Amino acid sequence: MTQAVEPHDLADVVELSIPGKAEWVAVARLAISAVASRLKFSIEDIEDVRLAVAEACTDAIQRASGDAQIDISCRSDERALHVRIRRQGTMIKNESPESEDSVGNLGIFLVRALMDEVEYSVHPERGTDLAMVKYVEV
Amino acid sequence: MQQNTDERPWDRRRAREAFEQFAKVRAQGSRLANEYEQLRSDLVVAHLNLVRYLALKFVNRGEPLDDLIQVGTIGLLKAIDRFELERGVEFTTYATPTIVGEIKRYFRDKGWAVKVPRRLQELNLAVNRAVEKLSVEFGRSPSVAELAERLKASEEEILEAQEFGQAYNLLSLDTELSGDGDKTSQTLADHIGANDSELELFEDKANLDHAFKFLNGRERVILYLRFYESVSQTEIAKRLHVSQMHVSRLQQKALEKLRIVLKE
Repeated sequence: MTQAVEPHDLADVVELSIPGKAEWVAVARLAISAVASRLKFSIEDIEDVRLAVAEACTDAIQRASGDAQIDISCRSDERALHVRIRRQGTMIKNESPESEDSVGNLGIFLVRALMDEVEYSVHPERGTDLAMVKYVEV
Repeated sequence: MQQNTDERPWDRRRAREAFEQFAKVRAQGSRLANEYEQLRSDLVVAHLNLVRYLALKFVNRGEPLDDLIQVGTIGLLKAIDRFELERGVEFTTYATPTIVGEIKRYFRDKGWAVKVPRRLQELNLAVNRAVEKLSVEFGRSPSVAELAERLKASEEEILEAQEFGQAYNLLSLDTELSGDGDKTSQTLADHIGANDSELELFEDKANLDHAFKFLNGRERVILYLRFYESVSQTEIAKRLHVSQMHVSRLQQKALEKLRIVLKE
């Protein structure tokens, strides 16, 4: 994890855990837009964050097997929104993260295109871990 | 012009070969212009699915999919022209941010940040209307699922429309307000404040009271009788034991004084 991705110590924290199933992604989307709208984001930025969270959850669902929950943690202060999305589980496909351009990885590319900073890793046993930041434009 | 008759699917290897060829042809400059155009258009066609995939992700933001694909394709063209194989990244990796960037720029240029997705605005109004209708139908508040079914939207969209639809709306003055309980549909314009004539009267009266202090007793009595009691000048003249002409002159003079005081 790089320094920049670390949130402020005094940041407000919102945590959400959803089942690792596609039908629950909407809950994460809704929750994150509520969190994001508390910051001074434009509605376009909120949409971006929401899309990024949805893509990240979808990626976590597709990549890790099992019934593990998806843990979403948001830390926000007036300057930025930090979101970390993790899912325990064994990787379904034995491929290195972001290896080449399989369609499955497009979601993460999309996340990278939408957020200001992204750290992403897939561990064979520990599952997926994605941390991302969106800064509030001043 | 060399026709491209390659029927292999567009996998990674083929894309790489195509880009190698493209780079070679490009390096030749105008001599191979035809082949350059052909290769470029092949590359565009081969990656239109990527554009479509990305455009679909933005389709809920109130712009038609076709428009998004169109601007996304501009991004694709830019990516194709700037892509360098030597960097060692896959083209899709390279192109995604460029295409997304172009789509996002399109939204920005549309002033979308202030305009708000129409879909949300409309849905917000539709939700309010449907809530009223369904409440009457069911005799109770409808559930989110029922609203979603009625409006052919997802439950998430309904919640979202309720949550955010109002916050960012620019409303038309003719927007119908779905009243809280009252059935008459009023527009926003009906609720805009106008000058309150009663209040203005009150202010006028205060000013007039002040101006009256500048009049002498007789002038005050004449104006009072004439304008508050609607007594005719002839009647006033009788009461004050003066001629009607005189009353008329006094009245003129008093009104003139008032005008001067009120003007100040």
